[in-house]
Amino acid sequence: MPKPKILLVDDDPDLVRALRLRLRANNYEVATASDGYAAIAQAQKERPALIILDLGLPVGDGFVVLDRLQNIDALSGVPVIVLSARDPQANEERALRSGAAAFFQKPADNDELMNVIRVSLGPGTEQQTAAWPS
Amino acid sequence: MENNGTNILLIEDNPGDADLVRLRLVESQSDVKVNCVNRLADGIASLSKETPSLVLLDLNLPDSRGADTYRKILEHAPNVPIVVLSGQDDETLAIKAVHSGVQDYLLKGNLSSKHLERAMRYAVERQALVRALEIAQKKQLDFKNQFLSHVSHELRTPLTCIHQYVTLLLDGIAGAMAPEQADHLKTVLKSVNQLHAMIRDLLEATRVEGGKMRIEPRCVALGGLVQQTVAMLRPTADQKRVGLEIGLDQRLPLVHADPDRVLEVLINLVDNAIKFTPAEGSVVVKACMVEADPGFVYISVSDTGRGISPEAKNLIFDRLYQDADSVDNNRSGLGLGLFICREIVRLHDGRIWVSSELGQGSTFSFTLPVYSMAKLLAPVIIYQNRLRPSFVLVRVDLTPLINPPRGNWKETWQQCLEIVQRCVYLDKDLVLPPMETSGATETFYVVTSADMQHSGIMTMRIREQLDRVPDLKTKCSITITAVPVELPEEQAGAALEQQVESVAGCVTQMIVAGRERKQNLAAKSTQTSN
Repeated sequence: MPKPKILLVDDDPDLVRALRLRLRANNYEVATASDGYAAIAQAQKERPALIILDLGLPVGDGFVVLDRLQNIDALSGVPVIVLSARDPQANEERALRSGAAAFFQKPADNDELMNVIRVSLGPGTEQQTAAWPS
Repeated sequence: MENNGTNILLIEDNPGDADLVRLRLVESQSDVKVNCVNRLADGIASLSKETPSLVLLDLNLPDSRGADTYRKILEHAPNVPIVVLSGQDDETLAIKAVHSGVQDYLLKGNLSSKHLERAMRYAVERQALVRALEIAQKKQLDFKNQFLSHVSHELRTPLTCIHQYVTLLLDGIAGAMAPEQADHLKTVLKSVNQLHAMIRDLLEATRVEGGKMRIEPRCVALGGLVQQTVAMLRPTADQKRVGLEIGLDQRLPLVHADPDRVLEVLINLVDNAIKFTPAEGSVVVKACMVEADPGFVYISVSDTGRGISPEAKNLIFDRLYQDADSVDNNRSGLGLGLFICREIVRLHDGRIWVSSELGQGSTFSFTLPVYSMAKLLAPVIIYQNRLRPSFVLVRVDLTPLINPPRGNWKETWQQCLEIVQRCVYLDKDLVLPPMETSGATETFYVVTSADMQHSGIMTMRIREQLDRVPDLKTKCSITITAVPVELPEEQAGAALEQQVESVAGCVTQMIVAGRERKQNLAAKSTQTSN
């Protein structure tokens, strides 16, 4: 079975690098984008099964990206998990209303995040957790 | 104000006094416009239509007397200067009025036009100063809060990066590590988590100060929250060899509170207690009812630590307070925890306090309002001064098909709750507020004044209406169950009030028992799955 592809959108290259490693270790293929415009372009090109999206992005912030994704037929069904440092009290509801599947505030608990990714990808895409040395 | 002239609202019921004041005003100022009314209500009505430069106020009016009179005006027009005109030479009353925000207190007897004019002019100036000060203060507070909220956001970005790389290494994703290295890294992770908690507290305290903290009260069984807290902090206590015990009243009523917030308070208090208790000491969490105050549940956290000095007791709930002695042995907070606790308890209309003696340990106590089932049930279960013949407890469970639920689950269940509310008779049935949840399932209860047959009609109606919600079936499964409320026989002859209490007690027991059963089942299933 091919690995599900995740598009990771964040403007912090260091965080992208770390999260990419973690996602790969969990048996996902990873594509990345570092601004709002690139996020849409990459989503159209890569057709990810799921998108992890930061809110504070250059060239179109996370809400703009959410809005655009909703309006592109081929992408409107792709689950988006928002991962942002912003205050959930002010942003969570807005993100969920704008079509996000879940909201995590940075720093997020890794297990919870991986669990929600797994659940959001739906049944049939269950991944085996990578066996890494303990 | 028109043409920079003075526009005065005179509230005075004695026509003679009113004329005199009017005369004095005209003598002193040529471009003064006086609007005279003789009742407080008319004065308030006039204030809501236009804002005068000043209110001249007699305290004893046909519809209000004494201090109440200026309080009501202040309430309606906090920014308009008020000068009281009184026939009563009472210095205490005058000082009290000025403390409350009145600008001056003049005696009617010795009123010259010059004196009045001067008093009014000063009153207007003073009011403007106060207003300017208030605006400046608010600006400063807003700036500080914005700054803190910005800082806490900016701090999160590098913290997230550190957290991600540390866990990456600890999880072995970047290759195996020597045990000693892993150990050191765990210490780093602990500090990262502490920093994270501090940033969270900082933002929370900012919210408190800006009046932006919100609570979402539900029907909560406190026992569960206490157990959850103790289970969570048991490892910390064990590590310090501090005993951790629970003492709960057998029949605790449900409270009306935000479970997440109450958990925050409990964790904070118990964590503090463990922190300040030496090895072999103990921490006890209790919850009970107090006869003299039946509207509240009392929760207390006692420790056998070194206690708190009387001076510290008065300051301990203040922001940024830290016990000087605690700094060296365990400084792992910002001193915001108890400040946040106090605000949470206050938002619930409860009280929080500490009793302690140096060397004797401390007890932190707080109260939470009882969810008064009897009071709420009374109007729907009594008909023509008698208890209705039978009651059924209907329970609606919404379980999201995927857990954690995707998208706006809160919006979904709130919509369902509204539908349930529309399906009941307002005079016979009561929909309880949402229960506290364990897991993602939302449970609503309806106490209905019907027998099983009629409650069946209602459950069918609820089912039908919920089925009409588009997409609901793709989001969650719905179960509706109805159980008759079995009342004890001997209650039949008792006073009505007692009968209501008895129904309320039965319903509460049924809900609590149902929740415990569910929790036990959940606990069993996790045990077997292990």
